[in-house]
Amino acid sequence: MKKSHTRDIIQKYSIYLVLLAMFILCAVVNENFLSVRNLTNVARQLSVGTIIAYGEMLLVIAGLIDLSVGSVLALAGVLSIATYQGTGSLALGFLVAIVVGVLCNLINAVLVTHFDVPAFIATLAVQMSARGAALFYTKGQNLLQLKDYTIFGQGSVGPVPMPIIFMVVLTIITWYIMNHTRYGRSLYAIGGNEGAAIASGINVKRNKYITYVINGVFAGIAGVLFMSRVNAGLPNGAVGYEMEGLTATIVGGTSFSGGVGTTMGTLAGGFIIGFLNNIMNLTGVDSYVQQIVKGGIIALAVVVDIRSKNKKTQKVILAADDNEKEKEKEAAK
Amino acid sequence: MKKKVLSALLCVAMIATMLVGCSSGGGSSEDKGGDDSGDKKDGYKVAYIARAQEDSFAAWLADEMKAAFEEYDDMTLEVFDGEANDEKENSMIENCIASGFDAIIIQANNGEAQLPYIQQVVDAGIPCITTNPRVECEGTGSIDADPYEQAKVNCDIAVDQIPQNAKVVVLLGPAGNFHSTERRNAWEKEFFEKRTDVQIVAEDIANWNKDEAMALMEDWVQANGKIDAVVSMNDNMAAGAIEVVKDNPDFKDMLAYGVDGTAEACLLIKDGLMTSTGLQSAIDLAKMNTEAVHAVLADGKDVTEINDNVPAPLITADNVDEYIQMYKDNGQIKE
Repeated sequence: MKKSHTRDIIQKYSIYLVLLAMFILCAVVNENFLSVRNLTNVARQLSVGTIIAYGEMLLVIAGLIDLSVGSVLALAGVLSIATYQGTGSLALGFLVAIVVGVLCNLINAVLVTHFDVPAFIATLAVQMSARGAALFYTKGQNLLQLKDYTIFGQGSVGPVPMPIIFMVVLTIITWYIMNHTRYGRSLYAIGGNEGAAIASGINVKRNKYITYVINGVFAGIAGVLFMSRVNAGLPNGAVGYEMEGLTATIVGGTSFSGGVGTTMGTLAGGFIIGFLNNIMNLTGVDSYVQQIVKGGIIALAVVVDIRSKNKKTQKVILAADDNEKEKEKEAAK
Repeated sequence: MKKKVLSALLCVAMIATMLVGCSSGGGSSEDKGGDDSGDKKDGYKVAYIARAQEDSFAAWLADEMKAAFEEYDDMTLEVFDGEANDEKENSMIENCIASGFDAIIIQANNGEAQLPYIQQVVDAGIPCITTNPRVECEGTGSIDADPYEQAKVNCDIAVDQIPQNAKVVVLLGPAGNFHSTERRNAWEKEFFEKRTDVQIVAEDIANWNKDEAMALMEDWVQANGKIDAVVSMNDNMAAGAIEVVKDNPDFKDMLAYGVDGTAEACLLIKDGLMTSTGLQSAIDLAKMNTEAVHAVLADGKDVTEINDNVPAPLITADNVDEYIQMYKDNGQIKE
């Protein structure tokens, strides 16, 4: 009994144990790893990816996905910069990014919920259109001379860089949504079994809309941070960022089959990938080898996820069998 | 009901597409492979198959091609986007042959992959010019920028500028990319073999991207402390590395070299943050391509006689104003 309790705890917190092990290993391997500046760098580097990952996490938990986020980020970012350059208003620029992110995701939501287009295809279509729109608007050229706009990505409050502050605030918001709202609980129900969720009175369509809208807000904020950090409006920037977000999400324990996932797990997933990239750069690992290692880690994370889920399922089945046997025994008596 | 809404949406989309097509000027209608621009109906029809409009240099080159063709009354240009996809680019070449263009200019995505299709153009008797990069195929002409030369002009000054026993980092383009490889070869032969005291403390691929170069540089600064020079195979990556240390007083003397001569690099050179870059001028490339194709079509010049490189002038603080003006003129730098 005690043994299985310990096993349950290890299984529940395995992602944090992996993160801790990785942290200790990195600290031992390279003396620069533990410096405040390096750890700040890691957090700053992974902030955009983690913010995207939260959006992906909500969607994946609900049994959805977003392949358009990298392109939407780019479109939101360049239009935000153009607005700032045209009006001189940082607030308006920021707002435009969020509006663009939300509008693109409303298209995703309409296609998925009203026309029953698979989320994979719908968001792939929006991915192409959003990238095309960003390139069309900028004629394929980078927007330069950002001036004060860089404050979002390069500024800091005291010693803490702005992107990290955004990441922390959005982590708290996402955690609250998932753990303390009816909407958050509904997402698990929808992803776990959509039919059962409908039967239990959950408004599945509305919740899917809300999820894509939140994802759009996150994509807009990520767009501002990304462009501001690189000090340029890059219409061809953030290509493949949807995979960065999905990787952190899946490594963090969110199940592709839906219904399972946590905010803190996703954050841990983001940090695992961040530490991995950082330590390989610090120690000068060849970039081809880096790709091999990253691929291996992702595969391993998914294998662990599937195996632990199977174990849980086995346990439920075995427990059910035991109950049946006890009932039979009682009936025999 | 759903079907009705869907068909209504499709109709709206169709009408919108038609309106966009009709309302856009000569330049942008060419993007879509639509009708010939303006009223140049009787001239030579030339197709330009761009590697990928999402690549900022390729997009710039396509724009300059359109602008250069505007100077001619007897030629029209249609631009096609290969979307960095070999299969798409190959299909476009086939389509252009079938469409009866008088000449085809091809910016290959991957020379080896496009080679058999370029051969088809030659076999069809259509004059073909390959550009940026050059594709070696008998019966074609070519206009290119020499990547070795573009890096070499930087090496020539770096040999004297980079301090003794300096620590340098090297940023590379995508693995196997011809231009990245050739530029790196130039640095090896023209700089590192001559300056054996210089130590490469880190070298990695940043895929031409500014954000990837930033992440690498942040880690390299942690791992190595002081870095004396950044050797980058393009300006975007050099700009990313500079972005990381631009406010750090320990790096105020850091040297940074790039290639392309982008608007951003010119601004960085003007601000004293970047040392130099070798220009790859889309304006020159477009002009030379246009002149060459006109000479073939209108004057009967043999296409195989065309084999030129655009010059690769070095941009430094001494002459950067001239190039900033060039970018102001084409709108990439605002006043």
